[in-house]
Formats: sequence, structure tokens, C-alpha cells
Amino acid sequence: MTLLEVCDLTVTFGRHRRPALDGVCFSLDAGCRLGVIGESGSGKTVTALAVMGLLPEYARVSGTVELAGHQITQLSESGLARLRGDVVSMVFQEPMTALDPTMRVGRQVAEVLRLHAGAESGPARAAVVRMLAEVGLSDPDRVADAYPHQLSGGQRQRVILAMALINAPDLVICDEPTTALDVTVQATVLAKLDEVLEASGAACLFISHDLAVVSQVCDQVVVMLDGRIVETGSVADLFANPQHPYTKGLVAAAQLDAATPGQRLPVVEDFYQPDAGAKR
Amino acid sequence: MSADLFRTERLTRRYHNDGREVPALTDVDLRIAPGARLGIVGESGSGKSTLVRLLAGLDRPTSGRVWFEGTQITALPERRRGFLRASVQMVFQDPRSSLNPRMRVGDIITEPLRSRLLRPQLDGLDHRTRLAEVLAAVDLEPDAADRYPHEFSGGQRQRIAIARALAPKPEVLIADEPVSALDVSVRAQVLNLLTDLVAAEGLSLIVVSHDLLVVRHLCDELAVMRAGRIVESGPTEQVYTHPSTEYTAALLAAIPRIRTGPGEPGASR
Repeated sequence: MTLLEVCDLTVTFGRHRRPALDGVCFSLDAGCRLGVIGESGSGKTVTALAVMGLLPEYARVSGTVELAGHQITQLSESGLARLRGDVVSMVFQEPMTALDPTMRVGRQVAEVLRLHAGAESGPARAAVVRMLAEVGLSDPDRVADAYPHQLSGGQRQRVILAMALINAPDLVICDEPTTALDVTVQATVLAKLDEVLEASGAACLFISHDLAVVSQVCDQVVVMLDGRIVETGSVADLFANPQHPYTKGLVAAAQLDAATPGQRLPVVEDFYQPDAGAKR
Repeated sequence: MSADLFRTERLTRRYHNDGREVPALTDVDLRIAPGARLGIVGESGSGKSTLVRLLAGLDRPTSGRVWFEGTQITALPERRRGFLRASVQMVFQDPRSSLNPRMRVGDIITEPLRSRLLRPQLDGLDHRTRLAEVLAAVDLEPDAADRYPHEFSGGQRQRIAIARALAPKPEVLIADEPVSALDVSVRAQVLNLLTDLVAAEGLSLIVVSHDLLVVRHLCDELAVMRAGRIVESGPTEQVYTHPSTEYTAALLAAIPRIRTGPGEPGASR
């Protein structure tokens, strides 16, 4: 069953700028995981914001975004607010800025629950602590009473994950969720994300410039370049047998362990042949 | 006197946080030979950055000593550290915050040359010539000098930071997570640039990273840090292929690799 259908989505900011998204089409089935890869400025985050209905008012939008039967581009702000946190939730890159520094994290997670499920604060606390345990925080009671600055980066990102999952949304959008973390913490957060997505059956739109990370979380992947999707396929096919020169370059550049130390690494430009007329 | 580039003896740094003492670095003994390409890896908080800041003389140890080319730098007052500032240059992780947004790129790059401390070491170095040289060395157009940092992409900004580090003709380049804020596609370009520069300028290189693959690519020696101590060291290839501690093995296992095999969902996750 199709959960998310994005069709011919074009987004332009400002009158004289080229579109941030240019005719983007993709769909995501319930329970599936789609990775969006591409470099800074390729349109990954704008895509996520469009699905969340978070594009700024001055953005000019054409095309459609249909999420669980709702036309996102047509909904009012109050209609969108009902969907966010309930049908769709988002995990941002920087856990320090995504949490309110003046509020204990347990209350922040409970707020999401109370807004949407209308839970009373007593039962909410129990649900919050259970959710914090579920995302792998070993001392959930203590964490619930802590302020964000008292937690490590990995712990904060787990709290964000708990917030995103507590209303059992149909779709979780992760925008570079582990880029700010070091490799060991990243590995544990990704394993936990995999586990909780599996358990909840939520679909995931996973945005990252890191192909390796995407390949570990997702089943399908789209490659974005300059606001367009240049290639799409299953993770196994696309990374093993990339077609577009940009994808070939990304895959080659990402495989640091395939290169001989000290030798020149392949870069994306190596895969564009000037005579083929393919130009960035 | 030894022929070491750097030598540290029981180097210890403790920070104070909420009245508690936090040991960041404990009793580190390290020798680095001239021309070395040393990688320092470890998790966040393992003391990597503290160690290189002490080597570069940007911080002072709680106890222990550091020698640079036979001179003990720990006790030297700042006014006598000019030789160190000229010889040891740093490149930081995030070029958005390490470049002054109000300065033109040309002024950023030549700022170290205008330093009163460095001037005696850099006698006769023409700023304009040097600016042109280092811009060319990092593959930036000459007109980049007249523009501001925000006009450049992340990868270009890291090139500017590298150009600034090269300007005073250092012997040692210390790079603290030089590519971890960059996209995969840009990362390869900056790693190639660092490899070329180190070879062309005959630099010694110290690279700090949480990513063992980055360090493996750039460095021939490796020190693994955990909780403020060096827990393993040796030739990069040896540590990479035969880690002797479980901690290093765990760091290696945590590196995300592209999974292309069909595999069961979750099998290799």
C-alpha cells in the first residue's frame, strides 16, 4: 500500500533562482524504507520539509505530495499540525538544537504524546519512560529528569528518536540523523533505529550524504542532484551497479576502504566524460 | 637532545566542570619522528583533540611536558613561541566556524604572516606572492582572495583553511577531523589534496579522526586513544588488519560500509 506519493514536485525559493526541487517523483510503501542521497544543496532536505508541510510561505510549490490520503500541499496549518508528530515525525541532524535546553527531556517527549494522544501527565510519564527504554537508554528514569546538556550526543539523539516514535507514526523522516555522531555511537544509534522501525512497522524516509549509512538502513534509494532525481533503485542494485555517472562517482568516492592508502581517491568528476556531453 | 619532532612525557590535562575534575588526558608518552604521518583515532571524549592542542601549544598541560624539535614548549611564555606558531599549523573540523566571516579570504590566509610573533621567522616572505602560491596549492582561483567565506561551499572553505595553515610555511600540519563535516563526494577531493600537499611540501602530518578509514588513507602510523590514554599504536596497516585491543576492533567494526549483498533485512545492519 502506498503511504507517500510525491508527484512532479517543484519548489522555487525567490523569483530569480533555479528550482530547489525540479519535477521530483517518488513513492514509498507503508513499512518500507527509502534513502535519499545527494550532496549539500541537492534538494534532500527541501524534499523532507515538503513532506512535513514545513516549507516556508514564500516557497512556490507545484506538484503534489500525498501522505496517507492527505494532500499535504493543500492542507491548512492546523490540518498539518494534526498530522505532524502523529502520522509523520522527523528526526533532525543536530540533537542539541532540536531539543529545548530549558526543559527536562521527559517533559519534551511527553508533550508530543499529550498533544496528539491527549494523555494525562501521570500515564504519559510511564509511557515516556517506556519509550526511552525502548530506544536503548539504559537509565530511562534518570534520562527523563535530565536536561539536554546533561546527556551525551548519542543519548540526545535517542531522545529525539523516542519523540519521533512515541505516537507510532506511519512515517519517520530522518534528516542526517547520525552525521553529528562519531562512528561507534552512530553504529549503535543506527542499529536501534533499525530495531524500533522494525518493531513499530513505520516507514522511513532517510536522508543522508553517507551512502554506507543509507545502505545499512534502507531498502530503496533515490539519488538527487541539483534538485532532480537522477537515479532510483533498490539498495542492492543501485550501489552494486550504478548507472548515472554521478552515482558511479559517489559510490566510488564513498569506498575509502577500497582505495590503497596514499593513492589518489576517485572523485565524482572522474566519471563525467567530457565527450559524452554529460556535464555537471 | 633527540631528533624527535615531538616528544611528550607523562602529558596530563584535567578540565574542571561543575567543580568536578574531568581527566581529558592522562600520562601520555609519545614520540613523533620528523616526516611522520600520524593518525590519532578514538571516540568523542577520548582525548584526541586535547592531545593535539597541547602539541600545537594552544593549551597548557596540567602536568607533564612537550618538546618540539628538542625545545621544551610547555614552560615557554607565549612571546617566545613564535617558532612554534610558524612551524605547527592546524586545520579544524568545521570551516564555517574556523574562518572569520567578516574577513576577505586573502586577509584570512595572510593573517598568520602579519602576526608580530611570526614575523621574525618569516623574514622576507612576500605576502602577495605567498597568497598566490597557497591559493594555487589548494586549487582555488586567484580571485578567491577578494571574496568572503560565505561565498564558498564547505569543501572550498576547507581548502581556504588549509591554505591559511600552509601560508607560514609550516613543517607540521595538524588536522582535527578535517573531513568529517564534508559530503562524501567532497571528502575524497580534500583527502586527495592533503595527500598531495604533504608529499609536495614535505610536511609532517598529524590527523585526528573518529573514522579509522580516513586516518588509514592519510597516515602510515596510528595511535588509538581511549579515555585519555593511548591504548594501541603501530603502523597503520598492522593496526588496521590486526587490531590488538577489542576497543580498536570495535572502532573498526563501527565504520559503516556499503552493503550491496542481498542479505536478510537486518542481517548486516
